[in-house]
Amino acid sequence: MRRVAIIGTGQTRHARCRDDASQPELVREAAAAALADAELRPADIDAVLLSNMELFEGRAFPELWAGEGAFACGKPCMKVATGGTSGTSACIAAFHQVASGLFDTALVVGFEKHSEGHTQTGMALTDPFWDRAVASGALGNFALSISEYMTERGVTERQAALVAVKARTNAARNPHAHLKSPEVTVEEVLASRMLAHPVRLFDMCPQSDGACAMVVASEECARRACSRPAWVKATATRHEQPYLGDIDRRLCAMRTLRDASRAVYAAAGIIDPLAELDVAEIYEPVTYAELAWYEALGFCEDGGAGRLIEDGVTSMDGALPVNPSGGVLSTNPVGASGVIRVAEAALQIHGRGGARQVDGARLALATGYGVYAWADAVVLGAEP
Amino acid sequence: MSERIAVKHTMDLAWRYASGEAMERFCADLSDRRIEALRCGGCGRRYLPPRPFCGNCRLRMTERVPVRDVGTLVAWTVVHTPILDGRTGEPRPAPYGMGLIRLDGADTTLNHYLAEADPARLRVGSRVRAVWRPALRGAMDDILHFEVLS
Repeated sequence: MRRVAIIGTGQTRHARCRDDASQPELVREAAAAALADAELRPADIDAVLLSNMELFEGRAFPELWAGEGAFACGKPCMKVATGGTSGTSACIAAFHQVASGLFDTALVVGFEKHSEGHTQTGMALTDPFWDRAVASGALGNFALSISEYMTERGVTERQAALVAVKARTNAARNPHAHLKSPEVTVEEVLASRMLAHPVRLFDMCPQSDGACAMVVASEECARRACSRPAWVKATATRHEQPYLGDIDRRLCAMRTLRDASRAVYAAAGIIDPLAELDVAEIYEPVTYAELAWYEALGFCEDGGAGRLIEDGVTSMDGALPVNPSGGVLSTNPVGASGVIRVAEAALQIHGRGGARQVDGARLALATGYGVYAWADAVVLGAEP
Repeated sequence: MSERIAVKHTMDLAWRYASGEAMERFCADLSDRRIEALRCGGCGRRYLPPRPFCGNCRLRMTERVPVRDVGTLVAWTVVHTPILDGRTGEPRPAPYGMGLIRLDGADTTLNHYLAEADPARLRVGSRVRAVWRPALRGAMDDILHFEVLS
């Protein structure tokens, strides 16, 4: 397998509604930004990968409509759709395509326009026999698992609120972010509207319109085109059983993310992730999930996540800044959200993070999450 | 600048899905207020709702084991922002309780509605019992919801 690097990234402005752009135009906005960042032309791209939750917008073949926005005409174009992990999985697929020698360059574009469709309906269109009769959606699924997690690990609503404050404060330094609240307080989070006990409005990710793109290149191309490539050091994907009720202890065990992260740590030679990683961009659709992920990712012992957020270990000036971008809690165009995690991690290695840059970041983790059924993990480094 | 145009579409479509033997039998049993799980010949895990394969062992399951209509609440929530009911397209009146319930005789948990919607009266570990529809139809929602046993 050949070495692979990310040599350019680009994002749109993310917002609740982007009526100023059609879906192909939104895709073009991100794709053109990534090409400009990599200083490449459309003709330099060998293959295109799109990530999108097609049922959310109620149309089949999103690659057919939006593909030309991603410069895909005349090139091999592939769509990846695996729920919340669609974006990270599309990135991993592009890494594999370039690593295999099949292509020298690939362009990944993730996008979603929640304002144009029915996300709830899309979420409800799962298994037509059992799931639809008792559907609880993403929110209900999280809320259920959180009661179990809080009971077992003693996590508090206040500790979860600290995650919301960190996310929205970090987002204020990210020019692309959807929700930015530099002044938000724990008290405001705890006073926000209850959605599904104990999840409040400020605990939950938004639905955003937006797109994110990146240019993936072989070693030869990366060294020629980029002064500071973000090298792909390891990737892993894990799938699970389909029913929420089948999964052993859900947030507490989080087998998919636990196993995927252990696989990438082993492949990248990481023994102590909290000490060795410089930055992490993790897919946290709800505040409590970020705490559970700290444990699943081995940033602390099981039961130690509340303490980690209270001590500021994962804040911008802590030992391991988690989600300098503001994360999914601040920006969530689902098909793009996973691409954003990997792109933001790459941006940190590129040293182009602007006000959200972690000084001297050389080793970064990005993760994807789709209900409990899928998890992706990617390690990027300043050295191949 | 002129007003931007947004094109509206409404779709009304019907779909039809084959249930497979495990789900067919499960529904037929419900009309007799009988619940059976499928037990994996590899790991011994008793799956409810029944489905053809054990994902972990990758085996097809055929052994049926009896399950009671009482069990333990493993997780719960009270939903204030309902999602659409996938069968009707309408939101369920909120607030309403939901739980993950491990019925006696099964190892997996069922995602289902709770009669209780007061957070103060719900806790992990509570015992719950199925409330059945008076006229059973052999359908997935013959169990209306679960009530908490005092």
